[in-house]
Amino acid sequence: MRNANTAGWLAAAPALAFTLVFFILPFAGMVLLSLTAKDADGWTLANYQQFFSNRSYWLGLKNSLEITAIVTLVSIVLAYPFAWILAHVVPERWQRLALLLAILPFWTSYVVRSYSWLLVLAEKGVINDLIQGLGLADAPIQMANTRFATITGFVHFFVMLLTLTIYANLKQLSPNYAKAAADLGASPFRTFWHVILPLTLPGIMVGAFLTFVLAIGDYITPQILGGNNELVLPQVIMMQIGRRGDFPLSSALAIILMLVITLAYVACARWLKLERV
Amino acid sequence: MRKAAAIAYAALLYGFIFLPVAMLILFSFQGSQVPVPPFNGPSLKWYQAILSDSRLTVALLNSIAVAILSSLVAVVLGFLAAWGFARFSLKWPGFWKAVITLPLTVSYLIIGMGLLIFFNGLGLPKSLFALGIAHVVINMPLCFAIILSQMTANQANIERAARDLGARDWQVLVLITAPMLWPALFASFFLAVTFSWDEFIMAFLLTRFDTTLPVEIWNLLKGGLSPRTNAVGALVFAVSVILAIVFELVAFRKRNT
Amino acid sequence: MMKFSAIARLAASASLAALLSATSAAAADLNALIWCDHADPALLQPFEEANGVKVNVKEFEGTGAGLAIVEQSQPGDWDIMVIDSVDVRRGVERNLFEALPEDQLPLADLFPEVKMDGQTVIDGKRYGVTEKFGYNTIGFNKAKVSVEDMQSLAALTSDKYKGRIAIYDYYLPVIGMAAMSIGKKTAELTEADLPAIKEVLLKMKANSKAVTDVAASQTALATGEADILVGGGEWVTAGIAKDNPDLDFSIPKEGAVLWSQSLAMFKDSKNKDMALKFIQYILSPEGQARLATSSCYWGMPASTKAALSDDQKKILQFDKQPEYLARAQMYPAPSEDLDKKMQDVWTEMLQSQ
Repeated sequence: MRNANTAGWLAAAPALAFTLVFFILPFAGMVLLSLTAKDADGWTLANYQQFFSNRSYWLGLKNSLEITAIVTLVSIVLAYPFAWILAHVVPERWQRLALLLAILPFWTSYVVRSYSWLLVLAEKGVINDLIQGLGLADAPIQMANTRFATITGFVHFFVMLLTLTIYANLKQLSPNYAKAAADLGASPFRTFWHVILPLTLPGIMVGAFLTFVLAIGDYITPQILGGNNELVLPQVIMMQIGRRGDFPLSSALAIILMLVITLAYVACARWLKLERV
Repeated sequence: MRKAAAIAYAALLYGFIFLPVAMLILFSFQGSQVPVPPFNGPSLKWYQAILSDSRLTVALLNSIAVAILSSLVAVVLGFLAAWGFARFSLKWPGFWKAVITLPLTVSYLIIGMGLLIFFNGLGLPKSLFALGIAHVVINMPLCFAIILSQMTANQANIERAARDLGARDWQVLVLITAPMLWPALFASFFLAVTFSWDEFIMAFLLTRFDTTLPVEIWNLLKGGLSPRTNAVGALVFAVSVILAIVFELVAFRKRNT
Repeated sequence: MMKFSAIARLAASASLAALLSATSAAAADLNALIWCDHADPALLQPFEEANGVKVNVKEFEGTGAGLAIVEQSQPGDWDIMVIDSVDVRRGVERNLFEALPEDQLPLADLFPEVKMDGQTVIDGKRYGVTEKFGYNTIGFNKAKVSVEDMQSLAALTSDKYKGRIAIYDYYLPVIGMAAMSIGKKTAELTEADLPAIKEVLLKMKANSKAVTDVAASQTALATGEADILVGGGEWVTAGIAKDNPDLDFSIPKEGAVLWSQSLAMFKDSKNKDMALKFIQYILSPEGQARLATSSCYWGMPASTKAALSDDQKKILQFDKQPEYLARAQMYPAPSEDLDKKMQDVWTEMLQSQ
C-alpha cells in the first residue's frame, strides 16, 4: 500500500511543484517587494500608507467595486431569463445550437470586442444613429468613454458566461420539482421563487463569483471604453508600471486588489456551501 | 402570449450579443480610414494590409505555439495530479487540492505581475517562454478540476483489473486511464487553448518584441484608428468559430460512439 | 530591487535560467526600444532590406517605464532607444548610453532650434540626436469652433467649449500647457507650482468628455466625439487630414509645448555598427520623410532636408516652423520625485468627476 501511495505523490508532485515555484513564490516575492521603496533601501509600509492617504488610489478601488457590483447584478438579471428560455422554451433538439449561438462572440478577440463597442456607442455610431433616426433625441448622446460604456462592454461578455453556467444548472434540475410544486397548487411564480430559484442559486453564485473575479481584475475594458474619465484599480496599477516603472507601489496595490477578491471569495464560499449540504 | 414574450426577449439578447460583432465585421470592409457610419465600402484593402503585415502573422504563429504547448503541459500536469488525488489516499487531500486550484481565484493581472517581478529578480528576460509558464499557471488548475470531476470509481475498477493482469502504473495511466478520460482531457485542453489564445495582460507584461496576437492587436489599436483593427478582429473571429465548430463536432461524435 | 533579487536568486534554479535565456533574441537582430511611430513597416522595411537585418521593436510609454525595461534586461539586450530629448540626461546618468560620433551624423541638416545641445550633449559628448519634433498645443476642428478662440489657452477652461474637449492622456505635456496658461515657464516648474497647475487641470477635466491616448484622440477628433484636443498638434491632425481637412492646430499666444524625440545608442549594444547605420538611416532625407509621416502619428522631421512632398509639407505647416519654434517652450523634465508628484496630480485629475 505504501508503494501505491508513493506513485500517487509522484503523480501529484509536478503540479504541486509548479504551483509552488510559479505561483506561490512569485506571490511571496510580490509581498516582499511591496514592502520596499522604488528608490530607497530598507523595509517600509509607505506604499500601503500611500493607498490610504492618496484619494485617487482609494477612489480606484471604490470605482472598481461599484462597477463590478453593477456588472455582476445586471449580467445575472439579463442572463437568467435568457438561460431559462434556452432550457425550457427552445425545443430540445435546437438547444445546443441556440446555446452555441449565444456564446459565439465569446471567441472574438477580447481586445477587439471592447474596441467594437467603442465604435457602436460612438456619437456617429449605430446606436446614436438609431436614436436620432427614431426621433428620440436631437443631438447625439455621449455613451462612449463613460462608465456606461465600460459596464456595457463587461455585461456583454458576462451575459454569455452566466447564460452558460445558469443553463447548465437549469438542465440538471429534474422537471419533477416544478411538477410537484404545481401539483401542490403553487402558482408558476411561487414555484419559481420558492423552488427553482433556490435550486439554481449555486449556479448563479458560481457565475457571480467568476464574474466578480474576472471583472475586478480587468484592465482592457475600462481602458478602452471608459475614456479615462475615472480609473479602476487595475488602471491605477498599470499606470504606475507603464509610466514610472514603480513596481513596489504597484505590487502593494495588486495585493490590496487580491485581498478584496479574497474577501469576496469568503463571502461567496458561505453560499457555495449550500451546494454540498 | 408567454411564448411570444420569451421569443422577443431572446431575440433582444441575441441582438445585444451580436451587435458589436456584426458592426466589427461590416466595417472591416469600410472604404475609408474611419470605421464608423456611414459605410462606404465594400473594400478588401484592410484585409490585404493585415495579411501582408509580417508582425501580425508572426504574432499569430506565436499565439498558436504558446496556446498549444502551454495547454499540453497544463493538461498533462493537471491529469497526473488528478489521478494522484483520485486513486490514492494522500494525506490532507483537501489542502493540496486547494493549493493547486488557488490560482483560479486570482486575477490574471496579479499573477502576471508576480511572475514579472519573480523573473526580474532572477535576472531572466521577458520571453514567450515566460508567457507560456504564466499560461500553465492559469490553466493547469482548470484542467485539474475538470479532469478530477470526471474520474469515477468505475474507472478505478478497470485500472485495478489492468494492474491485476500485470500492467505497471505508467502503463495503466497511458493505456487505460488516459483513453477512458479522453473527453475530459480534450475538453480541458480546448478550454486551456481558448484562454491562452485570448489572454492579453500577462502577454503584455511578460513578452518583449516577440509577442502574441492580442498584444499586437493592442499595438495596432494604439497605433491609430483604422479598419485594419476590424479586419484582424473579424479574421480572428472566423478562425475561432471554425475551431469551436470542430470542437463541437469532435465532442459530439465521441458522445455518439 | 536589490534586496528582492538577492532573495529570489536563492530560489532560482540554474537550469531554468539557461532555458529561459536561450529564447532571447539572436545577436544579429537590431533591438530597439521605441515609440509607436517607429513600428511602421513602411519605415523599417527599407532599412531591413538594405542591410539584411531584422529590427525588433518594443514600444513603451514614458521615459521612466522605458528605463525600467532596460534595467530589467540583460546588458546588451538593447541597441537603440527613442527617448524624449530632455530625458537623454537621465539615461546618461545611469551610464546606459554610448557617445555618438558627431562627424558621422548629418547634424548640419537639423533645424538649429531642435538640435537641443543643452540636453543631448553632456560633458562635451553627444549622446542623443533629435529625429522628430512637434507641438503639444490645441488641436481642433475648424468647422466646429472659432479659430480665433483657439489662439488662447484660456479657451480650454472657459464654459464656451464645455463638453466638446478631449485631453491627450500624457501628463507631462498637458501639465506643461496648464503651467503656461498661468504664466509659468515649463523649464522652471517646482513642487510649489503644482497646486495652481492642478486647479487648471481640474477645470479642463470638468470641460472634457474623455482623456484619450494617441489613437483614441484621433478617433475622437475624426468621429466628432470632440472638437478640441488639449495637447494635440500636427501629430494628431496631420495623419487624418486627408479624411478630414477641417482638422487643424494653433500655437496660442501663451505658447505651446515643444516635444522632441531623440535617438540614443546603448553602451552595451553588441551591434553598434548596425545601430549607427540605423541612426544614419533615420536622419537621411528618406528616413526622415518616412518617420515624419509614420502611420502612428505624423510630426516635423528634425532635418530640413527630409524628402517630403509639398502637400505633406503644407499639412505639417513647414514654412511656419521658425515662428512656432520661437514661441514654444521646452517639454517639462522633472526630477524623479517631482515626476511622481506630477503623476499623482494627473491621476487625481483623471479621478475627479
